[in-house]
Amino acid sequence: MTFRRFAFNNVIRNKRLYAAYFLSSIFTVMVFFTFAIFAFHPALAGSDMNSSVQRGMNIAAGIIYVFSFFFILYSMSSFLNTRKKEFGLLMMQGMSVRQIRLMVFMENMVIGFFATVGGILLGLIFSKGILLIAENVLVMNDALNFYIPIQALVITFVPFILLFFFISLFVSYVLRSRKLIDLIKGNKKSKGEPKANLFLTILAALLIGIGYAVALIVEGVAVIVALLPVVIVVILGTYLLFTQLSVYLIRKIKKNDNIFWKKTNMILLSDLAFRMKDNARTFFMVAIVSTVAFSAIGTLFGFQTFLTAGLKNRNPYTFSYSAVEQKEQDIELINRTIKEENMKAEQEQTMLHYYEIAQDSILIARESDFNQFASLLGEDTIDIKNGQVKVVEFTGNEFGQTEELLEQSIKLNSGVSLKPEEVIYSRALPATDSYYVVSDQDFEELPSPERENYYQAWQVTAGEENILSASEKLTEELSPGEFYAKDYDVYQLNKQYGLVLFVGLFIGIVFFVSAGSFLYFRLYADLDEDKQKFRSIAKIGLTEKELKKVLSRQTALLFFTPILVALIHGAVALTALSHFFYFDLTKISVVVLGVFLVIQIAYFYIVRFFYTKQVKTVL
Amino acid sequence: MLEVKQVSKIYAGKIVYKALNDINFSVEDGEFVGIMGPSGSGKTTLLNMIATIDEPTTGEILINGRNPHRLKKEELAKFRRRELGFVFQDFNLLHTLTVEENIVLPLTLDGKKVKEMKDKAQVIAEKLGITSIMNKRTYEISGGQAQRVAVARAMIHVPKMLLADEPTGNLDSKSSKDVMEMLESINKNERATMLLVTHDPQAASYCDRVIFIRDGKFYSEIHRGSNRQAFFQRIIDTLSLLGGDGHDLSQIRV
Repeated sequence: MTFRRFAFNNVIRNKRLYAAYFLSSIFTVMVFFTFAIFAFHPALAGSDMNSSVQRGMNIAAGIIYVFSFFFILYSMSSFLNTRKKEFGLLMMQGMSVRQIRLMVFMENMVIGFFATVGGILLGLIFSKGILLIAENVLVMNDALNFYIPIQALVITFVPFILLFFFISLFVSYVLRSRKLIDLIKGNKKSKGEPKANLFLTILAALLIGIGYAVALIVEGVAVIVALLPVVIVVILGTYLLFTQLSVYLIRKIKKNDNIFWKKTNMILLSDLAFRMKDNARTFFMVAIVSTVAFSAIGTLFGFQTFLTAGLKNRNPYTFSYSAVEQKEQDIELINRTIKEENMKAEQEQTMLHYYEIAQDSILIARESDFNQFASLLGEDTIDIKNGQVKVVEFTGNEFGQTEELLEQSIKLNSGVSLKPEEVIYSRALPATDSYYVVSDQDFEELPSPERENYYQAWQVTAGEENILSASEKLTEELSPGEFYAKDYDVYQLNKQYGLVLFVGLFIGIVFFVSAGSFLYFRLYADLDEDKQKFRSIAKIGLTEKELKKVLSRQTALLFFTPILVALIHGAVALTALSHFFYFDLTKISVVVLGVFLVIQIAYFYIVRFFYTKQVKTVL
Repeated sequence: MLEVKQVSKIYAGKIVYKALNDINFSVEDGEFVGIMGPSGSGKTTLLNMIATIDEPTTGEILINGRNPHRLKKEELAKFRRRELGFVFQDFNLLHTLTVEENIVLPLTLDGKKVKEMKDKAQVIAEKLGITSIMNKRTYEISGGQAQRVAVARAMIHVPKMLLADEPTGNLDSKSSKDVMEMLESINKNERATMLLVTHDPQAASYCDRVIFIRDGKFYSEIHRGSNRQAFFQRIIDTLSLLGGDGHDLSQIRV
């Protein structure tokens, strides 16, 4: 048996031990490669809007690469930790440190090579799947098709082989400093429960509290200014939360015999404390990575809803036509198209009169006109008596000068001056500013307007499925300043935004899945120890129910502690975002965070099932 | 207390292997019985079946007139932790717990009151002379101490029967002697029934009676009488008749 042969056999006959490490490596490569496929997609190269997307992609690729480095390094070191005893044994048999380093180096290069190749193959399949989902979920009409990604291949293969090379070098260097006795004692010795420092514990609570408070208080542009300091403070706070506060809490519980000595708590909590150093680090990473995922997806979806909602709010009608003069052929074209596309529509038309009031051009509308449009839209009609004036503010548009209009008065030809009394909210008439409504009789007595504008609106009542095709035809024929089609505009917005949204979604998913696998590998790193432990306890007498309970809680703590923190972080971040837009993002936040929570719960059940099954094999 | 009736164990496989063949014996209340035999004679298989960790292929084992193998899995686990106590060669202590926590583990699983557990742990620790190490972790104590902790854990719930699988296998001769003397005194003072599987004639000489098995079959049985030294000599003699050199058998020690 040559040395090479020994190293080879060591891997082949010890598959299960290497499997976890190999899988985490292959997974990392897959994520990066799938990302690279999109980052270097031909559809993204070229036009102006896409060049900024491209830049964002490159930055994200960099982040993922750095992230991969730490991930692989981390799974590598926990993998080597479980093999301490083996190294100790080999050294006792007379293997030199140089030979061990050589062996570890060779193993790593073999694993690294196969992980890279395997990851690329899996990535090809995975990206095809992602593209299928993207095409169906997002409005993207074959903007991104599948291609043979030569560039992505190169950009994945070369750096990852290098990465594995450097990690192998690095790790075999680290091994050098270990004493033989420590290796042989192996994992019996605690890695040391981290000590909780009261000052740092308080600091953790303080930092997070301050970060949250600032994030929730600031509004508007100040959100951008506060962003970086808040992020840094909260990240620091989170780190301390897991390394200090959690340790502090567990210690408190452990000291309380009434809790600690209760049924299976002892088995659960003693392990938790024992592994806290490893767990705290994992929890921190997972919490931060998940928060990034939540915030990125929440922001993108929030921004999209914000834009769409604004668009829909401003143009409440299916079609609207607005011009200085009514052009017969345009109106004719719209009506004809509605008929051709088998749609039925109700319509209203009027001439809008603008007057100069307080150095501004303000609309004064007739009561009957207002009511016609209001009933077309399904809003309440209003009743205005002679001599009465109401100020109308466009619903959702808080920037109108409502206050200012309330101060002013309208002079009629008869010399009577009308004073506005009441503000109402409506979307019936198109306006970026607020405007007045007067009774029909008073309207007749107004002086001649500063300018007039023709306005006609259609609300489709039947044949809605054809709105998009009709809109497309009409938009091509009519001039863009005059004709608006609500649904088509929203469609256009989604189409433009779809690519950006997709990329954001993808990055979010990548981060979230990585966070999940972090937890998975953390759990599986302890599998052998757990098996041994439960075998011991089972001999004394542990029922299956109790075993399930302990494992359930152990897995739940591992899966939900960091996610809970991330959910709270994410909720705060999205609230801050809604303060920035002055737009309520509660609904979208609940949806995004809820979806992630559901995925995490599903993930928990799957992992718990397999983990319990694994542990039960030794009973 | 314990009745083993015509018990056989057959491991199916490519080559059918009969680990135990028609074993019959019984243990009275308060008796201290040793089981000896060469490696591969089926000692540990027998103990595992009495411990309800394994099941006999044929025959039955009665503990206090009941057959625990008829119990459901859940009940069986509870039966083990309430009625039996175990001591293992490798101690089987949990290294994440302190000594005291290890001792009370079977009680916590049964949801006993904290005060009751503390008191019981204190009493048993005093008896076994381990009060000074109660707050230490398992990697901080010696093998002899660890085995005493394991005995304390096995005895804390006052089991009907204590089963020990090579309890001295991992100990030096001084610690072996301490542990065996302790077991003997528990046996005498608490009238606890004990069953011991061992290679070690020295350890076996503390028993009231030693049963020898060879190749899965009952071989012979000797009683102690009054003199332990003489008993030890008879054990050595029987072992050398059993096959191999008498002193070969204690080479298992590390």
